[in-house]
Amino acid sequence: MDFLILNEGFRTLSALLVVPLLGALVLLTTSSASFARFWTLLITTITAALSLPLYWGFDATTAKYQFAEHLAWIPALNINYTLGIDGISLLLILLTTLLLPLCVLASWNYIKTRVREFMICLLIMEAAMLGVFMALDFVLFYMLWEAMLIPMYLLIAIWGGPRKVYASIKFFLYTLAGSVLLLVAIIALYLHNGTWFIPMMMGQEYSTLFQTVVFLAFFLAFAIKVPMFPFHTWLPAAHVEAPTAGSVILASVLLKMGTYGFLRFCLPITPAATLTFTPYILALSVAGILYGGFTALAQSDMKKLIAYSSVGHMGFVTLGIFVLNTQGVEGALLQMINHGVTTGALFLCVGMIYERTHSRELDSASGLGKFMPIYVTFLAFFSLSSLAFPGTNSFIGEFLILVGAFTKSKIVAGCAIPGAVLAAAYMLRMLQRMIWGSKPNPHPEILSDLSLREIVTLAPLLVFVFWIGLRPEPFLSVMHTSVAHLLAQVHQVTPQVMTVGTLLP
Amino acid sequence: MINNLWVHPTLVLLFGALLMPLVPRVLKKAYLLLVPVLAFASVLHMTNGTFGVVSFLDWTLTFGRVDALAKIFAYIMTLMCAIGTIYGMHVKNDWEHMVAWTYVAGSLGVIFCGDYLVLFLFWEIMAFSSVFLVWFRGRKESLFAGYRYLLVHTAGGLILLAGIVLRFQATGGDLSFGPIGVHTPQLYTWLIMIGFILNAAVPPFHAWLPDAYGEATVTGAVFMCAFTTKTAVYALARGFAGMEILVPLGVCMALYGVVYAVLENDARRLLAYHIISQVGYMVAGVGIGTPLAINGACAHAFAHILYKGLLFMGTGSVLYMTGKSKFSELGGLYKKMPMAFVFTLIGGLSISAFPLFSGFVSKSMIVAAGFEEHNYWAGFLLTLASAGTFLHTGLKVPYFIWFGKNHCSQETWDKAADPPWNMQVAMLIASVLCIFIGSYTPYLYNMLPHQEAAVAYSKVVYSSYHLSESLQILLFTAVGFFLLIKKLAPEPTISIDLDWFYRMGGRGFLRLAKGPIQWVDTGVSEFYRLLGLIPLMTTARFSSWFDWHGIDGVVDGTASGVRGLGTVLKRLQSGQLQYTIFYAVTLLALFLAAYVLA
Repeated sequence: MDFLILNEGFRTLSALLVVPLLGALVLLTTSSASFARFWTLLITTITAALSLPLYWGFDATTAKYQFAEHLAWIPALNINYTLGIDGISLLLILLTTLLLPLCVLASWNYIKTRVREFMICLLIMEAAMLGVFMALDFVLFYMLWEAMLIPMYLLIAIWGGPRKVYASIKFFLYTLAGSVLLLVAIIALYLHNGTWFIPMMMGQEYSTLFQTVVFLAFFLAFAIKVPMFPFHTWLPAAHVEAPTAGSVILASVLLKMGTYGFLRFCLPITPAATLTFTPYILALSVAGILYGGFTALAQSDMKKLIAYSSVGHMGFVTLGIFVLNTQGVEGALLQMINHGVTTGALFLCVGMIYERTHSRELDSASGLGKFMPIYVTFLAFFSLSSLAFPGTNSFIGEFLILVGAFTKSKIVAGCAIPGAVLAAAYMLRMLQRMIWGSKPNPHPEILSDLSLREIVTLAPLLVFVFWIGLRPEPFLSVMHTSVAHLLAQVHQVTPQVMTVGTLLP
Repeated sequence: MINNLWVHPTLVLLFGALLMPLVPRVLKKAYLLLVPVLAFASVLHMTNGTFGVVSFLDWTLTFGRVDALAKIFAYIMTLMCAIGTIYGMHVKNDWEHMVAWTYVAGSLGVIFCGDYLVLFLFWEIMAFSSVFLVWFRGRKESLFAGYRYLLVHTAGGLILLAGIVLRFQATGGDLSFGPIGVHTPQLYTWLIMIGFILNAAVPPFHAWLPDAYGEATVTGAVFMCAFTTKTAVYALARGFAGMEILVPLGVCMALYGVVYAVLENDARRLLAYHIISQVGYMVAGVGIGTPLAINGACAHAFAHILYKGLLFMGTGSVLYMTGKSKFSELGGLYKKMPMAFVFTLIGGLSISAFPLFSGFVSKSMIVAAGFEEHNYWAGFLLTLASAGTFLHTGLKVPYFIWFGKNHCSQETWDKAADPPWNMQVAMLIASVLCIFIGSYTPYLYNMLPHQEAAVAYSKVVYSSYHLSESLQILLFTAVGFFLLIKKLAPEPTISIDLDWFYRMGGRGFLRLAKGPIQWVDTGVSEFYRLLGLIPLMTTARFSSWFDWHGIDGVVDGTASGVRGLGTVLKRLQSGQLQYTIFYAVTLLALFLAAYVLA
C-alpha cells in the first residue's frame, strides 16, 4: 500500500467518525432539550478540537494519503475500511468540523420542537460528511455519500418552512437520481480492477469508451451535487425551506461534495475523458456564473438570493477545476473553503433576521442599519467577501481562478468577468436595501441587535474572511503538493486527447 | 540623535485629544488643564538641537528642530492653548476641545518641523481641524463660512504643495525648511510664499479671516485668532526674512485692516480685521529682515497672541452671555459686565501700544527697525496704522459695548452679566501677562532670537523721546475719537470686502454645476438607466422566471409525469383476478401475433 502513510497511535480519522455518532447515541437516552443543545455543542467542539492536530501534523511535502487507517471489513467482497486524507480533503474536513459548532449555536433558539432529534440529525450528518471526505474505499464512500441524504432530508422535511415536503422530496430524488449512475460507475470500475480501493483506480489504462461512460456517470452525480447549471433547481427550493443550520450545512459542506468528487474521481480516474469534456464543462461553468448572477439579482427573498449566488460561486469553482492548471485548481480549492465560510455566514445572518421578523423578504428587513448596527457590520463584511472584495477571502480564490482561466483561455475568462460584476450588483442591492432601505422598516420594535451568542457564532467566520484574505499562505501551502500530483495524473495522458477528440463527433 | 527627554508637544496634545472621550466627567476639568500644561512644560524643558529624525521611504523627516525662533513661538502657543482651554472649560462638547487641541498640535508641528513634507502635513492638519471650530457654532452661516474657509485653505495648501514639489525638483531633492534664498526668487519661491501669506491673511488673500472668525464659536475664535496667522508669520520669518515685497504688503495689510476695522459693526469681525492689521506689522518686520525687525516680528507675535486672545475672550464673553456681537445691538453694558470691560480694556490698551502694556514694547520695535533701515515711508505708515488701532480697538470697542448709547433689547440687557469664573480666570491670566510684558521687558526680550539687537533695543524702548512720541499720537487720536464720535456711531451695515469674490465665485461655480454639468450628469445617468439598468434588471427577471418555469418546469414536469404514469399503471393493478387474466392473455396474444407475423 504505497499510496498510504498509515497512522501509528491515535486514530484521529476514526475518532472524527465515531465521536459524533457516539454523541448521537447518548442523545437517544435523554429527553431534555437544553441538555441536547449543550451536549451537541460539546460533542461538535470536541470533534473540532480533534481535527485541529490534522493540520499541524500534516506533511505538506507528500501527495500520499496521510493519517491513513486500513482494516478488512467484508473480505468476501474485498471491501475494506480505508480512511486517509491528502491536501485536497484536509481543508474541507477542517471546514466541516469548525462549522458544526456554529450550526449548533445558530439553532439554539431557532429550533423549538424536537430539539433532541434535530441534534441527532446534525451529528449523524457531521459523521457522514467527514466520512465522505476521508473514505478511500469506494463502497465505504458510497455508503456515506448516500447516508448524508437521510439526515439532510429530515432536516428539511421536519424543521423546514411551509413548502418543506416539496423541497425535501425534490432534494432527495434529484440527488439520488444522480447517485444511482455513480453506483453503476463504481461497480464498473470494480469489475475492471478487482478492488474497491480508490487510489488503485487512478492511472489505469481504461479504454476511451469506458472512460467516457464512467466520466459521464460521475459527472451527472457530482454536477447535481455542486449544483451546476442546469441541474441546480433543487438548491433554491431546499435552501429556502431548510432551517438555518440546514442551509449552512447544505451551502458550506454539501455543495463541496460535488467539486470534491470532480477532484477526487473524475480528474485522476478518467483523465482522458476529462480533457475531452473540458470545453463543455467550462461553458456550463461560465453559463452558471452568469445565470446565477442574473437570477440572484431578481430575487426578493434573501435566502433565494444567496442560494442563486451559490450557483454563480460554484460556477467559479468548477471553472477553476476544469482549467486544469495549478492556479485554477488551487484557486478552486481555496474558493470551496471561502464559499463555505462566506455563504455559511450569510445564511447565518439571514437566519438571525428570520428569527426576529419571521420573514425572508428583503422588504421586511429594510433599513436595519439604524436598529442593528452590529448585525449590519457583520453583514456588510460578509457581503463584501461574497462579491470578492479585495482584502477578503473570496478575492484570493476568485483571483487565482481567473488567473488560471486566463492562462487557459482568454475568452472563457473574459466571459466569467461579468459574473464578478453581477455579484457586486446583487450583493450591494441586498446590502443597500437591508442597511439603509428604500422604505422604513415595518416592524422596528422587534429588531434587537445581536446577542452575545449570535456574535460568537459569526465572529470566527469573520476572522477567517480576513485571515484568508490577507494571509492565504497557510491555507495554500498544504495543497501545493497534492494539486501538483493531481495535475500530473491528468496531464500524463495528454497524447491520447487527439484520438479521443477524433473519435467523438 | 533622538534625545529620550525630548517630547514633542504635538504628541502630548494629540494623545490628549485622543484620550479625551475616555476621561470620566468628574475629572474632565482637571484633564483639560493638565494636557496643555504638560505641553507647555515640554516646551519649557527643551534644549536647542535636532530631535525626532525619522526615515520614511527615501526621505529623512525632521520633526524636532529646536532653536530660539521655534521656541518663542512654541512657548506662546502652548501658553495660549492653556489659556484658551481654561476659557472654554465650560464647553460640554468634547469634540470642540479635541479639534482645538489638534489644531494647536498642527501649529506646533509646523513650528518644530525641519522639512517641507512635515510642514505640509501639519499645515493641512491645521486647516482641517480648525474648520470644525467654525462649524461647531451650528448656525447656517457658519456652515457656509466654514466651507469657504476650507476651500481657500485647501487651495492655498495646493499652491504650497506645488511650490514644494517644484523646489524639490529644482534643487535635486532638497526638502529642508530654512531660508529659501530671497535674493534669487524662483517660481517655487513665489508659490511657497503665496501658500504662506495666504495663511497670514495678506490682501488679496485675506477675506477668509473675518469671514470665518466672525462665525466661529466663542472659544473657537479665541484659538483661531492665535494660531493660523502666527504660524504663517513663523514660516515667513524662517524662510523669507528680508524678502522685500513683504514690506509693502505688510504695510498695506496694516492700513487695510484698520480701515475695515473702523467700518465694521460686528465686534468680532472688527477684531478679525484687526488681526490683519497687526499681522501686517509682523509681515513688514519679516520683510525688513534685520535682526531688530525679526525680533520685532517675534515679539509682536508673542504680544499679539496674548492681547488678541484677550480681546476675543472679552467680546466672546459678551457674545456668550448676551448672544449679540454687533455694536448696533449692544451698548452701556458697564453696569452689567464690569470685569469683562476691564479685561477688554487692558487688551485694547495693549494693542494700541500704550506705554506699560505689551504692544508698546513689541510694535515699536518693528517701526524702529523700519526707520533704522531708512525705510521712512514704511515707518510713517505703520505709525499711522497704530493711531487707527487705538481709534477702533482701544476706544471704539470698549466705548460702544460698555458705554455709548444703549442699543440693547430688554432681553439682551437681562441676560448680560459677567461671564463664568473660568472665562474670567483665563482673561485675568492674559491681562496680567499683557501688563507684565509691557512693564518688565526682559521677560520677553530674553526669549528673542537675536539677543544683541534685543539688548540694544531694551535700553531705548522706555526712553523719554519714545514715550512722549507715543503718548502724543495716542492723545490726538483720543481727541479725534471724541470729536468724531457721531460719525463713528455703529450702523447695522455689512462692509463689502474681497470675500464678495469668494461668494460670487462660489455662486458662479454653483451655477455651472447646476447648469451644464448637471445636464451632462443627468444625461449620463439616463443613458446608464436606459441602456444599463433596465436591460440588466429585465434580464435578471427573465432568468428568474425562466428558472422556475423553464428549467424547474422540466424537472417538476418529469416528476409529475412519472407520478401520472404511476397513477395510470396503478389502475392496472385493480386486484380483480379476471382483469389480470384478461390483460395477460391479451398481451400473450399480441406477442404471439407479432412473433408469427415477423
